[in-house]
Amino acid sequence: MKFYLCIDDTDNLDSIGTGAITEQILKKLIDHGFGPCSLVTRHQLYIHEDIPYTSHNSSMCFYGEAPDESLSIIIDLASRHLETVSAVGSDPGLCILQYHASDNYSDLIAFGKAAKHTVLTKEDAIKCAQSFGIHLSEHGGTGQGIIGALAGVGLRIFGNDGEIKGALKHIDLNKKYSVAELMTFPEVEQVLNFQTKERLTPDSVIHMNNRSKTVMYHHHFVLFVAKKDDGSYESLPKAEIRKLGENFYA
Amino acid sequence: MHKKEQLNLDDWFQGNITALACLHFRQDVEEEWIAEETISCYNCRYRRWVQSGIQCMKTPME
Repeated sequence: MKFYLCIDDTDNLDSIGTGAITEQILKKLIDHGFGPCSLVTRHQLYIHEDIPYTSHNSSMCFYGEAPDESLSIIIDLASRHLETVSAVGSDPGLCILQYHASDNYSDLIAFGKAAKHTVLTKEDAIKCAQSFGIHLSEHGGTGQGIIGALAGVGLRIFGNDGEIKGALKHIDLNKKYSVAELMTFPEVEQVLNFQTKERLTPDSVIHMNNRSKTVMYHHHFVLFVAKKDDGSYESLPKAEIRKLGENFYA
Repeated sequence: MHKKEQLNLDDWFQGNITALACLHFRQDVEEEWIAEETISCYNCRYRRWVQSGIQCMKTPME
């Protein structure tokens, strides 16, 4: 079976981050014999004074394969880990979905999109999760993290949202790479011109002169690059990528 | 919080010089870095994003 797992609100200012905890859960599942699992994606949610996030309000999600009938094991393993490592004062939430290719997840995707520009409540999340039979659980504090956890699963299924955790952190800055070289990294499946969204050929050369990230675009890990006036390509700074907005990915 | 404890969304220069002089600066995890300068309030684990920019949770930024 294919499953999606997402957590949110597990940290405080001094603790390990939600991304690290997500990777720990992923590793535990692999160690248990499940998998393979995807890379982890970071989904930015709404920044608003009425939302009690720690510092940036993002949730972390991945999907994986596991034997049929193993959903309860995944839930148990992830829950116990969250309760062990979540930070004091955090409000952790866990969402696990057993995916069925024939199901229509449009309402779940809509929930995820809404969480990027609306203040949602736990009741909203519970109602949405119940309609899909999704596991949603609180693991301390107010349990407010269930909202972001559910939204993260919706956005990951949507396939047009999120940065790839850890992407490109091993590249050398200010160095030129061919597209073929970049695609040897697991977090780079395609390199696209961000102005035209056209795919670059393997021999195209990119000047990686800033911290960039790959993002989910049409269900692929995509590096967007900019074409300069002289015809050469350069990477986009992360700050610019975050400004692209939802309409860019539509 | 008082306005002096905030930086707008992309005041990269101020974020860099403030963090260089800050005793509380502590790098956040890599996936949360946003500034090109490694040492920057924008990459600090004690900053909190708000709608207008970032807010310091430790000390005033100016």
